[in-house]
Amino acid sequence: MSVDAVPVLQVRDLRTYFNTLDGVVRAVDGVTFDVGRGETLGIVGESGCGKSVTALSILRLIPPETGRIVGGSIRFDGRELVGLDEAEMKSLRGHRISMIFQEPMTSLNPVLTVGTQIAENVVRHLGVSWRQGLDRAREMLELVRIADAARRLDEYPHQLSGGMRQRVMIAIALSCEPRVLIADEPTTALDVTIQAQILDLMLELKEKLGTAIVLITHDLGVIAETAERVVVMYAGRKVEEASVSSLFAQPMHPYTRGLMRAIPRLDIEADTAGRRPRLQEIPGLVPILTRPIPGCAFADRCGFATDRCRAERPPSVEVRPGHEVACWETARVAEAA
Amino acid sequence: MTTLADTAIDPPRRFSLGTAIRRNPTIAFGGVLLAILVLVGVFAHLIAGDPLRLSPVNRLRPPSERWWFGTDQFGRDVFSRSVYGARVSLIVGISVAAISCVLGLLLGLVCGYFRRVDAIVMRVMDGIMAIPSILLAIALITLTRPGLTIVIIAIVIPEVPRIVRVVRAVVLSIRSQPYIESAIAGGTKNAKLLWRHVLPNTMAPLIVQGTYVCASAMLIEAGLSFLGAGVPPEVPSWGNIIAQGRTFFQIAPWTILIPGAFLALTVLAVNLLGDGLRDRLDPRLARRL
Amino acid sequence: MTAYIVRRLFATLPVMAVVAVFVFFLVRFAPGDPAAIIAGEDATADAIAAVRAKLGLDRPMLEQFVIWTLHLLQGDLGVSIFSDLPVSRLIEQRLEPTVALTFSTLFVAVALAIPIGVIAAWKARKLVDRLAMAFAVLGFAMPVFVLAYVLIWLFSVKWGVLPVQGYSPISQGLWPFLEKLILPSVALGVTYMALIARITRASMLEVLAQDYIRTANSKGLATDRVLLLHALKNAAVPIVTVIGIGIALLISGVVITETVFNIPGLGRLTVDAVLKRDYPIVQGLILVFAAGKVLVNLAIDISYAFLDPRIRY
Repeated sequence: MSVDAVPVLQVRDLRTYFNTLDGVVRAVDGVTFDVGRGETLGIVGESGCGKSVTALSILRLIPPETGRIVGGSIRFDGRELVGLDEAEMKSLRGHRISMIFQEPMTSLNPVLTVGTQIAENVVRHLGVSWRQGLDRAREMLELVRIADAARRLDEYPHQLSGGMRQRVMIAIALSCEPRVLIADEPTTALDVTIQAQILDLMLELKEKLGTAIVLITHDLGVIAETAERVVVMYAGRKVEEASVSSLFAQPMHPYTRGLMRAIPRLDIEADTAGRRPRLQEIPGLVPILTRPIPGCAFADRCGFATDRCRAERPPSVEVRPGHEVACWETARVAEAA
Repeated sequence: MTTLADTAIDPPRRFSLGTAIRRNPTIAFGGVLLAILVLVGVFAHLIAGDPLRLSPVNRLRPPSERWWFGTDQFGRDVFSRSVYGARVSLIVGISVAAISCVLGLLLGLVCGYFRRVDAIVMRVMDGIMAIPSILLAIALITLTRPGLTIVIIAIVIPEVPRIVRVVRAVVLSIRSQPYIESAIAGGTKNAKLLWRHVLPNTMAPLIVQGTYVCASAMLIEAGLSFLGAGVPPEVPSWGNIIAQGRTFFQIAPWTILIPGAFLALTVLAVNLLGDGLRDRLDPRLARRL
Repeated sequence: MTAYIVRRLFATLPVMAVVAVFVFFLVRFAPGDPAAIIAGEDATADAIAAVRAKLGLDRPMLEQFVIWTLHLLQGDLGVSIFSDLPVSRLIEQRLEPTVALTFSTLFVAVALAIPIGVIAAWKARKLVDRLAMAFAVLGFAMPVFVLAYVLIWLFSVKWGVLPVQGYSPISQGLWPFLEKLILPSVALGVTYMALIARITRASMLEVLAQDYIRTANSKGLATDRVLLLHALKNAAVPIVTVIGIGIALLISGVVITETVFNIPGLGRLTVDAVLKRDYPIVQGLILVFAAGKVLVNLAIDISYAFLDPRIRY
């Protein structure tokens, strides 16, 4: 779990806003985290909390007509990405930082062969011939354990199953041995059995290639199995950050606690009537992001909230080594546990 | 990200002309332009002088204060002729659109409802659509005496299949909707189904297609007249004026460019109206084009 | 694939049959007496009877139909009323200019429209896009012959850079051939270009919003590769479909364009036949043009298989 001295990715106070008909949406509103070399960082939160936007911001893939990074810093290997010119950004994408997406069914180009889609990435970034690119593509397909790789090269995405397509996406993303792989809900659209296979594959390849992974998910179960450290996001902000063990052992933010209570658990004994304790949902609604939130974004839904929580934004404070939380009422929350 | 924009709900707004124009400039622009042209057509006899009066002394006069748009080789006033031309074009455009819509709607409904008729009618429609419309109209006109009515009929025939296809597609897609299937299963009468569910749904695409047919009809009419296969040469239609201006085009280009501009402007107005209506009424179609 | 092409070729037969039956009955069910109209205002009874005999209208309908169909299947399109020449030969003589005009127009229109549409979609809602779409809307409203005269007026009369009209067969040199095709192709092509540019833009916009384009961008691919390979190939099917639909427009336009530019092709033949009311020629031309259109549509259907691997036969 040790983190190397210089993180490969440093995100500081990132803010990404979107213009909509209803006004400016603060999709990411001051998020800070580091990703160490070869580390797996999980980012968890419910849909709309800004985790995918964070991922797209790192790759600078926010469509300029709808939104933009308005502030903060993203450093990759010490190099500032915010404001880096597009040509240089293009040479990083798919090469040093790559990404896989949630929907394997729609993320591959339907009219190009699998081989083309892998090889073009290799040829683009490693400057090899098309032949060599295709050889690399075959190797990659073998690496992601697709049987009969040579034949699959000439096939089109519609000839593959969902799990296989996600393997192809992984093959593309890792084909240039990137330093960072951003995986945005990579298994959400897949069957449960396939999910486990894909996650195992990602971890195995990470070990082999030394790639750091930013794993974005809404599923704490996935985080528990794969990540080393976790960032919990709510309404565009980071509310808690900790190692996986520390977070699951002692979640500090009321929102994180709420999330955990909403996970179905099989380890709690059912009572004699066969009932298990009811899953608890978090009361209330996610705040509207077009309105500025002066205090803690979770205050309206939080049982511990005070006037201060509603008025003043809590800073992220280290409460234990490596465990940060953004909450004014940490002491009361800890007692309540 | 897109969901944010998609779920944005427009607050109810009071109607204001300014907003309406800003939100739908195409309809507004096309509509106003067309309205002006219609007024010109309807009140041609008040606006313009006699389009047929010959004045051999004043042949091929360039545009001036006396003849705004010049005169042709018979000394006829190009302005008056062009203004009367609006009448012919609009009559043809609107009648063809109206007749095609009515026929197309009936045939389309029948085709959407009765499989067996559908197979036959659609084969015929495919055949008609394989013939370039201007040729089909020409063939018909070759066999009859020239006149406005026959021109209208000759343009209606090739235009009908376009409407039939659209209406039929709507009927078929509505028939496969679960609520209609359950209504059929529940024993709702065909006639009631047609009246309550199918007909209202065909209206938007029908109006949109109707405007396109109108534009296309005006172009075909002008083309036919230009080729000498349209309305009789003595009628001042834009196609006829242009055809008669051909001989002296090099010395009197206004005899062609002026009625040509009128025609282009009218077609433009109708097309803009159609585009605007399509975006407004039929977003599914709008996405495709 | 071959089996599919053969099957589709057979599928065009009913359409052609409908066209044939349609033109056959058109002359028989036309209001009034077509023979009298064709013979002209002052024709004697004998002249009218002669026309009727030439059209075969004097025999029982069923017999006419059988004879006519048999001739048609042998490629015999009948005989011109006025010149007594076989219609098929008249058409053959006039084929080259029309084919040349059609192909050069197709080339000009597609070669300009697709880049315009792609750029408009890429720069959506920017100035380039608005200009391109304004051009498309104007171009679509522009009657072929009006544009033709504007072009002649500018390029031939005012600036004198291109010939006013006429046609020069390719056998008499490439430049004279091309030179005389430029204005007609542009005049005829603008409407078509507008149509293709609009569908290209719309289709590209839809494709550019797809997940796989985001994937392509996440690979850091060059913009032209994303636009021209990843996006355009996916957008191709609707574009090609519209190119096919537009062929009908093009053929109608050919008749008019040939008249304006005095090109001795099938269009001129049509117009001359109409003015003389030479129905057998008109009938033959309809069959030829319809066959041309049906074959183009067939070619387009087949092209789908090359453009989209999900389409299998």
